[in-house]
Amino acid sequence: MTTVLGIETSCDETAAAVVLDGRTILSTIVASQIDLHARYGGVFPEVASRAHIEAIGAVVEQAVHDAGVGYDQIDAIAVTRGPGLVGSLLVGVNYAKGLALATGKPLLGINHLEGHVYSLWLTEPNREIKFPVLVLIVSGGHTELLLMEDHGQYRRLGGTLDDAAGEAFDKVGRLLGLPFPGGPNIERAAMMGNAIAYKFPRAKRDDSYDFSFSGLKTAVLREVTVPPASGEPRRRGETPRLRADVSINDVAASFQDALVSALVDKTARAAKAYQVTEILLAGGVSANQVLRQRMRAEAGLPVRYPPLNLCTDNAAMIAAAGFYRYRAGLRHGLELDVKPMWPLTSDAYTR
Amino acid sequence: MYNAKGSDSESDLPILKEGQLDIISHSVEQTQRFGARLGTLLQPGDVICLAGDMGAGKTVFAAGIGSGWGVELPLTSPTFNLVHEHTRRADAQRLFHLDCYRLNSAAEIEAIGFEDILNGRGPVIIEWPERITEALPRQRLWVELRVLEPTRRNLVFAGSGKRAEELIASFRELTFGI
Repeated sequence: MTTVLGIETSCDETAAAVVLDGRTILSTIVASQIDLHARYGGVFPEVASRAHIEAIGAVVEQAVHDAGVGYDQIDAIAVTRGPGLVGSLLVGVNYAKGLALATGKPLLGINHLEGHVYSLWLTEPNREIKFPVLVLIVSGGHTELLLMEDHGQYRRLGGTLDDAAGEAFDKVGRLLGLPFPGGPNIERAAMMGNAIAYKFPRAKRDDSYDFSFSGLKTAVLREVTVPPASGEPRRRGETPRLRADVSINDVAASFQDALVSALVDKTARAAKAYQVTEILLAGGVSANQVLRQRMRAEAGLPVRYPPLNLCTDNAAMIAAAGFYRYRAGLRHGLELDVKPMWPLTSDAYTR
Repeated sequence: MYNAKGSDSESDLPILKEGQLDIISHSVEQTQRFGARLGTLLQPGDVICLAGDMGAGKTVFAAGIGSGWGVELPLTSPTFNLVHEHTRRADAQRLFHLDCYRLNSAAEIEAIGFEDILNGRGPVIIEWPERITEALPRQRLWVELRVLEPTRRNLVFAGSGKRAEELIASFRELTFGI
């Protein structure tokens, strides 16, 4: 049995967790900064770093305490090394280094996206996952479609060419005057809206598995705001005004439908092309019920998604990914650095 | 590979004005091509500010700059992370892509190591620069993107400083041969 302590501070959650054999959560603690960041309309880096520093010691201690283990029973310390905000990443990595030095336990720097992948190994731990599987990671900062052929073996089939799926939710939410974060608030509004009220652009039916949500965002903007007077550009920095006759619920429903269609169409097509056994959804946007339901209905395959507390950033997923990397022999020294940009590929840990 | 000598003959001739360039893009692809031409010209220390409303095409233009410059990974929106640091294989140089959409003041940009980024380690692209006007360096190329019609955009290049004027002149020559 292998026990891994995971630490995650790549963005706005300070998190620590203890996981057994990569599948069983012994404890998971998340100190969310969401209230703190709501007034900024998103994560703000300096506030985030400071909040991480204030929270991390207590969060790690709580996770270790709740797991009912001592440091002597922990086999490795896994920490998110990237991608993410540099100041935030540094807090977690430096704390993990200190802990590794103090306890003599091996240190592993883990890819945050790989963490999201392994959140699925914590979901229904008794139902084995058979490779190959398709993983769709959709969050505020990421939109990645990966073919996973074995542990640690990823082929990136596609990703966003511009805005991430969660970012599109946030920006459209802001445009509609809905509170941050945009995802759950748009989903709520959409439940009371008509999804065919507006015709927003769909994904191009081409061979690529890439996504583009910037055009969709611009189409929503054009549809719901008062156009600037006769060719005159809007005053710099001015927030566009909503048209009086716009139904927020209908726009939310139609926008969500267009975005989900793009995700489902491409993922279902890739699932068929690569003959996968299952589709795994991860990241904050995977909490979207319409996405889950339509993926299941349209791909005709089992669709696995994490419970809400594992969709958003957490450290259990980092500990789970850490377990598989530990088993594969990964070890980092105390010179471990952060990688703010770090795509998840099969050679992510060797280059 | 991007072809710098490609034709943009469908576009109108630029409006010529001292130190300024005023052009029209008729499509997303053309905006990207304009960006790519500019990208081929960039050197460490160059600061390119991309101003304009949501949906004006800033990220499209930035992605073009990236492809022209030679990024390893395509440029995507940095709104979430505020800054993306790109590299190119040829000479291990770096390119910084910032997005100030979520910032409210110039002071906030310091938190992501703005001064360090400006220290000439690579070209810097800044979206939503109007949010941090006071923190911007004096030497910079300012590109304002304006929505004219669903697919048409007006791009106005204005330089401050000798290097920015040089960039505009080289871009004009590369794009229009004048």
